[in-house]
Amino acid sequence: MPLLPRIRNTYRSLFRKRELDRDLDAELQSYVQLLAEEKIREGKSQDDAWAAARAEVGRVGDVKENVREQRLGASIETFIHDVRYAFRGLRKNAGFAATAILILAIGIGGSTALFTTIHSVLLRSIPYDSAESLVVGRKTIRGVQRGPVSRVNYLDYRELNQTFEQFAAISWGTTEVTMTGGTRPALLQGTAVTWNLFKALRVEPVLGRSFTLEDETTGDGRVVVIDYGVWQSRFGADPDVVGSTVHLDGTPYFVIGVMPQGFRFQFDVDVWLVISDNFPVDTRRDAHSLLAVGRMKDGVGIEQATADLGTIATGLAEAYPEANAEKSIVLTDLHQYLVRGVSLNLRLLMATTVLVLLIACANVAGLLLARGERRMAEIAMRGALGASRLRLVRQLLTESVVLTSVAGGLGIAVAWSLQIGLLHLLPMSGLGFDSPVLNSAALSFTLFVSLLCGVIVGVIPALRGSALHPARHLGSTRTNTLNVRSRRLQSGYVVLQIAVSIALLVGSTMLIRSLAQLSAVDLGFRAHGLLSGEVNVQPDRYPTSEERAQFFASLLDEVEALPGVESAALTSKMPLRALGTDWPAWPADQPQPPNQDAFMPMARWVSPGYFETMGMPLLGGRDISVSDDANSSPVIVLSESAARGVFGDTDPIGKELRVAFGPIQDPIQVIGVVADARVNGLRRIPDAAMYMSARQFGATRLWLAVRTSGEPDRLVVPISELIERKDPDVVFSDPLSMTTVVNSWQSGFRVVVTALALFTAVALTLTVVGLYGVLAYNVSQRTNEIGIRLAVGASRNTLIGMVLRQGWKMVAPGLALGLAAVYPVTLLIRPLLFGVEPLDPPAFVAACGLIVVVATLAAYLPARRAARVNVVDVLGQQ
Amino acid sequence: MSEGQSNLVRGTLDMLILKTLSLQPMHGLGISRRIEQLTDGVFDVKPGSLFPSLKRMEQEGWIEGEWRESENRRRAKYYTLTAAGRNRLGEEKQNWGQAVMAITKVLETG
Repeated sequence: MPLLPRIRNTYRSLFRKRELDRDLDAELQSYVQLLAEEKIREGKSQDDAWAAARAEVGRVGDVKENVREQRLGASIETFIHDVRYAFRGLRKNAGFAATAILILAIGIGGSTALFTTIHSVLLRSIPYDSAESLVVGRKTIRGVQRGPVSRVNYLDYRELNQTFEQFAAISWGTTEVTMTGGTRPALLQGTAVTWNLFKALRVEPVLGRSFTLEDETTGDGRVVVIDYGVWQSRFGADPDVVGSTVHLDGTPYFVIGVMPQGFRFQFDVDVWLVISDNFPVDTRRDAHSLLAVGRMKDGVGIEQATADLGTIATGLAEAYPEANAEKSIVLTDLHQYLVRGVSLNLRLLMATTVLVLLIACANVAGLLLARGERRMAEIAMRGALGASRLRLVRQLLTESVVLTSVAGGLGIAVAWSLQIGLLHLLPMSGLGFDSPVLNSAALSFTLFVSLLCGVIVGVIPALRGSALHPARHLGSTRTNTLNVRSRRLQSGYVVLQIAVSIALLVGSTMLIRSLAQLSAVDLGFRAHGLLSGEVNVQPDRYPTSEERAQFFASLLDEVEALPGVESAALTSKMPLRALGTDWPAWPADQPQPPNQDAFMPMARWVSPGYFETMGMPLLGGRDISVSDDANSSPVIVLSESAARGVFGDTDPIGKELRVAFGPIQDPIQVIGVVADARVNGLRRIPDAAMYMSARQFGATRLWLAVRTSGEPDRLVVPISELIERKDPDVVFSDPLSMTTVVNSWQSGFRVVVTALALFTAVALTLTVVGLYGVLAYNVSQRTNEIGIRLAVGASRNTLIGMVLRQGWKMVAPGLALGLAAVYPVTLLIRPLLFGVEPLDPPAFVAACGLIVVVATLAAYLPARRAARVNVVDVLGQQ
Repeated sequence: MSEGQSNLVRGTLDMLILKTLSLQPMHGLGISRRIEQLTDGVFDVKPGSLFPSLKRMEQEGWIEGEWRESENRRRAKYYTLTAAGRNRLGEEKQNWGQAVMAITKVLETG
C-alpha cells in the first residue's frame, strides 16, 4: 500500500478528528436526503419519506459511534488485545520466550550500562560551576604537546592575558608530606596550587578561607588548606583546626581552610599548599612543573583564548630565546582533559555492546522466523477470517515489542549489575561517577532500545508471516514444506551474526595479544622477589646532607642484615612507581644545546649495589661504590640509550658530561653503562636514564629496594619495625612488591580486555547457538526427505556432508563479510594495541580458526542427527 | 447484511464494497443499493455497518472519498477505488476463493 496516503490518513484520524466528524455528519445527512428522495420517487409523501429514511439510518449517533470506534478507539483496543494475545502466546511458548528474553536482556542491559556510564562520564558536565568555560593549558614545543608549563612563563601568561577571568595552575603531580606532631607521623598527599585555583573553579572552603594573592606574594607561603576527609579523620572535625599550626616535613604551617566534602581536582590529596615566591617551584623558564587551569571570561571561546595566549608566547619566545624558543601553550577543554583516560575504553566497550546487541537481535529475529513458520496455520486462519495484512503485521510486531520490552525490564537489572562491575574496574570516581545510575536518561535509553529492537527483530518475520496465502496453509501444519524465503532470511541472520562475531573476535584477539605482550614485556629489571617502599626523613632532625647520607647508609646495612633479605639499595625514584624528572645532559666539552633540542634522560640518584638489587645488568665499567661520596668527584652511570644519546657510538666510559637543572654543575665522569629499563611506564619504550651517586646528594626522601629470597610481602613488617626503632619520626610508606606494581600498571587495560573478551564470548555463543538452531531446525523439517534419501541408497557420510555444507554456506559469506568489516574495528582499537600491528596476522588466523571450529561443531551435531534418521520410522509415517 | 449474518466474515463486506466500487465511483446509498441489487436482496447493507467499513478502508488508503453533485443535483460523497484498493480486491478475491475451497474440503471430508 502506498505509504504517503496512509500516513496522511493516519495523521488525519489522529489529529483532525473534528474535521472528520463534520465530514461524517454531512455525509450521513446527504445519505438520509438521498434515501428520502428515493422514497418520494417511490410515491411516499414528503414527511413519510423523511421519517422512513431517518428510521432506516437509525440513530445517527450510533453510526458515528461505530465509525469512531473503527477509527481510534479501535486501534487502542486492538493494541490492548494484541498485547494480551502476545503475553498469552509467550506463556504458551515459555522456553522460546525465556531464551529470546535472556538473549535480548544481555544485549539491552549491556548497552544500557555502557550508555549510562558514557552519558554520566563523557557527556555530562563536570561538577564545577559553568564548567564549559574551564580549560587546561599545557606546553607545546614546535606545536607538539610536551607536558607542563613553567611557573615563570605562567606568571607572564597570567599577567598579560585578556581573555581569562582567572588564570590559575596546579602542580603537575603530587608530593608526599609527612605531618608530625600528635601520636604518629602521617604521610599525606599534597599538591601545590596557585592562589586563585579554587577561585577559577568557583569552589570555596566550607570552613575558613581560601588562598589569597597575599599568601602568594607577601606571605611566607606557610599556609595550608586541608581536605574534608583529613579534617574528619585526623582532626575529629574540630572547627578550631582553622588557625592552628601543623608541621609538614618539619616546617610549621597555618591551617587556613577546609575544602568541602568530595572536592577533588586532578588528584586525591590531603593538603593543598600555595605556590609562593618562597616555594621552590620552577624558578627558571626552562623548568616546567605546572598544569595551567583557566576560566575564560564570559563569551570568550577556546580559539580566542588560544590566540590570546599564543601572542603572549610569541612575545616570550622573542624575549627569552634560550628558554622559550618555539615554545607555546595549548588549551584543552577541562572536561575532555579529565576524561582522556577512560574515554577510549568506554567508547570501545559501547561499540562492543552495540555489536552484541545486534547479534542478539539477529538471533532473536531468527528465532521469531522459525516460530512464525510453526504458527503459519494460526496466522493463515486469522487472515482468512478477514484480518488485513496490516493488522497481522501489527499483531506480530506487537508480539516482538512485548518480547523486547520484557527483555528491556530485565536488561535494567543487567545494566545495574554491569555498572557496579564497571565502577570497580575503571577509574571514574574522579569524574563524579561513583555509584550506579538509573536516571531518566538511562530508562529512556532502555525503553528506546527495547522498542527499536522489537521493531528490528520483528519487522521481517512479521512481514514474512503475514504474506501467507491462507488456503495453502489452512489446516495443514505438519506436511507443509519449508518456506524458502524464510529459510534464506534465517540464513541471512546467521551470516550477519558470524560477520559481527568475526569482527569482535579479531579485535579481542588483538587486544588479548597486546595484553600478553605487555605482561611479557622486558622490564629491564627483575620485578619478582623485589620489595619497594619510600623512606622519608625529617629535614629538621637531619639538617645536613652528610647526616642524611649517614642515616640511609646505616639503614641499608641494617635492612641487609634482616633474614630473608638478599640485598638492599636506594634510589630517588623507583621505576614505575615514581615517574618523571628528565634533565638535559650533554658532553662536557661542548656548549649546552638549546632546550628544545636537548637530550633529556631520566635523572636518578642511587646507592651502591642498586643495579644488582634491581637486576639491571651492568654492561661496562663499574658500579657506583661506597667511596663515591660528597668528598670525591661526581660520577654517573648511563643506561645504554642514554650513553648513545650523549656520546653517540663512542665508548662513554671515562668521558665527562654535564647535567642541567641538577645540583651538580661541574662535569660528571661516566663510570659505567647499564641496560635500559622501563623506568617511566610500561607502554613506553625503555627510557634513557642516568644514575648519580645518592651519597653525593643528601636527599630527605629515597625509595628502598629490597631483593628478597622469599615472598617480598613477608618483609614489610620487619622493615617497618626496624625503621620505627631506628627513628619513630621516619615513615616507611607504601611498601609493595614490584610484581604488584607491574600488575597494577596493566590492570585498567586488563579490565577492558577482559570485558571485551567476555562480550565477545557472549556474542560467539549466541552466534553458534543461532547457527546450530537453524541447521537443527532444517534437519528436523527434512526428516522425511532424509529418510527417503537413505532409502534410495545415500550413505550416512553423504548426509553428514550435506548438512555440513549447508552450515558452510552460512559460515563462508559471514567470514568474508566479517573480514571486510574488521578494518574499521582495528582503527578504533589502535591506540590500545601494544606490540601488535593493526592487521595482526595471528589474530586473524586465530579468530577465523575459532569460528571455523565452533561453526563446524555446531553444524556437526545436527548432521549426525540427520545421519541417524531411521528409514523405517520415517517411511512408516508417510 | 443483517446482524445475524454479519459475523460470518467481516472481510466479506469490504470485499463486496471494493468490488462494487471497481465498476464506478459511488456514494454510500448507491453502494448499498448496488450490493442489494447484485445479491438479489440477500445482503442489505445498513449504514451502521456500511460507514465504519468505508471509513476504515478510506484510512487504509484503499478508497478515496470526494464530494460531488449527485445525478439529481444533491451533494453526496462519492468513493473511488485507489490502485491499492484494486490490489486489495485482487488479494481478497484470491483469498476468498482459496478459503472457500479449503472450507469446502473440510466440510466434505468424512
